[in-house]
Amino acid sequence: MMRFAAKRAAWALVVLFVVVTGVFLLANAVGDPAAANLGPRANRAQLQAYRRAHGLDRPLPERYAKYVLGLAHGDLGISLRDEQPVGQVLLQRLPRTALLGGMALAFELCLGLGFGIVAAMRRNTWVDTAVMSTAFLGVCLPSFVVGPFFLREVAFRLGWFPVGGYGRDALDHVYHATLPALTLAILGSATYARVMRSEMIEVLRADFVRTARAKGASETAVVLRHAARNALLPIVTMLGLSLPLLVTGAIITESIYGWPGVGRLAIESIAALDVPMILGIVLLASMTVQLGNFLADLAVAALDPRIRTGAGG
Amino acid sequence: MDVRAWRRFRRNKGAVAGALLVTVVLLLAALGPLLAPFPPDLQFTDALDRATGLPVGAGGKYLLGADQLGRDELSRILQGGQTSLGVALGATVLAVGAGLLIGLLAGYLGGPVDAVSMRGIDILLSLPFLLVAIVVNRVVDSPSLLVLCGLLGGLSWMTLARITRAKTMQVRELEFVQAARAMGMSQARIIARHVLPNVVQPAIILGTTLVAQMIVAESAMSFLGLGVRPPAATWGTMLSDGATMLSYKPMLTYLPSAMIALTVFGFNLLGEGLRDALDPKV
Amino acid sequence: MRSIRRSDARLTLGAGLLCVAMGCASVLWVAAVGGCGDPRSGPRWTGAHPGVETPRRGGTFVFHHETDVRGFDPHVAFDELSTMGVKLMFDCLLDYDYELNLVPSLAAALPDVSADGKTFTFRLRRGVRFHNGRELTADDVRWSLERMLNPATASPGVGYFAQLDGAAAYEAGRAPHVSGIVVLDRYTVRFQLREPDQTFLNALAMPFAAPVPRESYAPGARDVARHPVGTGPFMLVDWEPGIRVTFARNPRYWQPGKPYVDRMIFELNLQREAAFMRFLAGDLDHVHRLTPADRLFLGESRAWGPYRQAQADADLWGLEMNTEMAPFDDVHVRRAVAFVIDRERWSLARNHALAPLGQALPAGFAGYDARLPGVQTRDLVRAREEMRLAGHPDGLRAPVTLWIGEGPTGKIYGELAQANLAEIGIQIELKPVAYPVYLRETGRRHTAQMVYGGWTQDFPDPATFFDPLFHSRSATSTDATNRSFYRNSTLDALLDRARSERDRARRVAMYREANELVTRDAPWAFAFSSSRLEAWQPYVHGYRIHPVWTNCFRDVWLDLPRERITRRYAPRATMPAALLPFGAPR
Repeated sequence: MMRFAAKRAAWALVVLFVVVTGVFLLANAVGDPAAANLGPRANRAQLQAYRRAHGLDRPLPERYAKYVLGLAHGDLGISLRDEQPVGQVLLQRLPRTALLGGMALAFELCLGLGFGIVAAMRRNTWVDTAVMSTAFLGVCLPSFVVGPFFLREVAFRLGWFPVGGYGRDALDHVYHATLPALTLAILGSATYARVMRSEMIEVLRADFVRTARAKGASETAVVLRHAARNALLPIVTMLGLSLPLLVTGAIITESIYGWPGVGRLAIESIAALDVPMILGIVLLASMTVQLGNFLADLAVAALDPRIRTGAGG
Repeated sequence: MDVRAWRRFRRNKGAVAGALLVTVVLLLAALGPLLAPFPPDLQFTDALDRATGLPVGAGGKYLLGADQLGRDELSRILQGGQTSLGVALGATVLAVGAGLLIGLLAGYLGGPVDAVSMRGIDILLSLPFLLVAIVVNRVVDSPSLLVLCGLLGGLSWMTLARITRAKTMQVRELEFVQAARAMGMSQARIIARHVLPNVVQPAIILGTTLVAQMIVAESAMSFLGLGVRPPAATWGTMLSDGATMLSYKPMLTYLPSAMIALTVFGFNLLGEGLRDALDPKV
Repeated sequence: MRSIRRSDARLTLGAGLLCVAMGCASVLWVAAVGGCGDPRSGPRWTGAHPGVETPRRGGTFVFHHETDVRGFDPHVAFDELSTMGVKLMFDCLLDYDYELNLVPSLAAALPDVSADGKTFTFRLRRGVRFHNGRELTADDVRWSLERMLNPATASPGVGYFAQLDGAAAYEAGRAPHVSGIVVLDRYTVRFQLREPDQTFLNALAMPFAAPVPRESYAPGARDVARHPVGTGPFMLVDWEPGIRVTFARNPRYWQPGKPYVDRMIFELNLQREAAFMRFLAGDLDHVHRLTPADRLFLGESRAWGPYRQAQADADLWGLEMNTEMAPFDDVHVRRAVAFVIDRERWSLARNHALAPLGQALPAGFAGYDARLPGVQTRDLVRAREEMRLAGHPDGLRAPVTLWIGEGPTGKIYGELAQANLAEIGIQIELKPVAYPVYLRETGRRHTAQMVYGGWTQDFPDPATFFDPLFHSRSATSTDATNRSFYRNSTLDALLDRARSERDRARRVAMYREANELVTRDAPWAFAFSSSRLEAWQPYVHGYRIHPVWTNCFRDVWLDLPRERITRRYAPRATMPAALLPFGAPR
């Protein structure tokens, strides 16, 4: 297991290095951060002074070397837009995005698993149809369709939720995150519902359930216990894959609801060509994907003895 | 598609409904310019209220009303469909082509080709899709439709390549392939004649659902104002343009929204149906 | 993933029915609640003491902006929302009243000006204290200006002080101080110019000239953009990055009794639509930057009538044509464009949120003339005639590239221009680019044929438009602000004379002449100046749109109804009941 982990970590480093290089070249190929930051009124001397001050006048290889060296020391550089250390800004934003992503995941799981169980227990009845149709429809409603609708109709007209924003204290944050989290969850819960339903149906057909039933155990209890065990694997894998949601967040949903998380930061940084910040975000995202895959693999290996020996690459 | 699969597909009402929906949408997109009552970019003087400047509503000369610049909404929905679907289909074709090719080569040739392409896939998969799409779209100083196709396609071929590779590796070890190789058949012919037919099914299934994803991706970028070049309409740009009028003209937002949702729904249904028909074991 | 084939038929049917049901429901919803009006179309709260005119102390005032704040360093910040905060925390020697007159602020009186118009002597107000408690002295004025002029500060304001004697030498590092800034005694400072400059006092009223305490801003001081220290009526107390900034009343403020409110909360990153909804819901005390549709609603609402104000902005928007590049090196083509732009139509498409304009100065500026000869108006016949004169009676063969900034507004005007220019056979290809790219590329010679862009006043003087936009000095090979690269030696001479002319009437006449010249020569097809609509809650008093400063809330006072006092910024303890019966995701 340790060897597996070490190998994965080493490979992750290589991937991150390639990603950083690629994005560094990409982001530096466009536009002029000096103009973006000083605005249209700046004269030539000012722009040149800015470029000098931020090392933007140095040749690209030199800047690249400096960035990578800093990275090796855990220094993500200074944001061009607001002159703050990138790492610090990301740390500030992370908990906010994690709250939104966490709530979205929780909603997804609750709704998805609940829907799946209900559908399977009442399979081939109208309940099943209704629940699964809703789930199927959910897949077709991207956040930029649902978001503006929710914001206007649910938050503003009905007044059930705040009209975007972040709130002032912990409880308030949760309250503000509810609607965006729901917007995100509509898409995701459908997938969970379908997985849960099919796993459940398989369990219901299995012999041990019949045995348990014959023994007079409560069906619900038996089914839930076994179905849960059965469905755990695919669901854990899916959870691992949705880890990035917690970190890089949902660019569009955060923009619609004005949620001050990493996703929103990404859009602003791209608009201002804040290269160090863009790099930091991509790096973070890429790391999270690797971590998510790794955790999912670990969890699967731990849960399923068949795979444990064969894990690799 | 063999006869049994076809029968299974036909019996599946969901799949048929999906196919119908997709056909209708595709037809609308293909025939859009013929069906459109007006040129989609023409701004009409009488389509804006003289006092307030608000676009006229549905009914009357402009069947679905006009947008904020006084262009016919119906014509734009039709043209938008053409652009949105065009980009989505183009991106999908690209993704499926690349996925198949790379998967086949990696799976069949193995060795360094396999290693390099799988590592490349790892790297691409670890990138945040939307973020990278936006950054790249920025680099190309003015995004054309082709660039957008290439970008979306280029970032979404990886899953298919992985599946194709796995399948190819299975097929490669089968007896008839071994026999063909022993008989001195060229590698290209073996791949084309024996391997390809066996890996094309997942490509079809995945490709269909990929179209839906591409429509969403294109709309998402357009929604953020980073999609196609104006005045070309896509459902995504119409949606984001309409959003500023949400309180007065909700249809300008909800109409393209509905079109996106319906199309995505159709392609998803079709993909699901194809999966069941072609691959009953899974 | 396993298939769920068995119930697919029913699934489809169900989904289809759901689709239809949802469609019906939303149509009904929209019909029932009304297509446009909002349920809360009027203000929710009125003041506790309507009709009271004497300012009351206390309360919290909440305002917003749609983007994120970058910093409150007055010498660096230049965007609208940073300036909103800067104006709360910093004072300058001079300020403007609501009638655009320069009035003393930190200066005890308007300066003594020497006979040659080159020397300005300021006496400072005594007893003014920085937020840190130290008294403001003439030394601070000099030190602050030198900090701003120091290239290390990278201030975009340097250009406004170019006439200051010794500024160039100081910037180049050849002198330790600016020789034109002389401290005469603790409360007296003198500025010496190389040439008379009528805009120098305007420059001194800009936040770039705000005095700051040296001990907080010396090189090496930590993160000055986030720890502003000034002399203004409010002090920064809390900054939640990306969310909000909180200001508290400065108890030592030099104007007795002011400011009136205890706290100001600046909510950041609110999208326009969301901000307006929050304003109607009572979460914000002031709203600005509305979408045209929301603006229309607010402008028509009778209930909001007393609590809103519309005012023309002092800015210029239009199509900048690169006079060095074909086809716009031909004045006739430029004039054709100027005559074909349908300004009324543009205004209509924006629901009249702008004022059509056909000359180089916005209405109300010295030199503006409603009946200017050669004013640019929509005239299709003349446009075609100009195209014929240019030798293109059937239009241009090659399409023209129009650069627009990214975002919805640039796109709308780009599309409007596209439709207009097609009428004289000029095909437009729109080129939407990111703002940084837009700035760099359009400011480079021989790069952008045509640019949609605008310019906002820095101070209420015509020089604020002419010098950066049309003086050949501003047409540098890169980073130019004269993006039509218009060079006219007659105009240059005229502008230079006007800048130093001390006689008001002669100065106005000169700018009128310059206006006519530029309007006729049409390096720009002028299109409109924008106008703003702002609204505030009925319990907000003491606010008007300032003609120079965007959203200047320094004099606001609140007549808060009791429920607002307790509710405002007390944490929400209870969830609304509506949240509890929570079920399906729709």
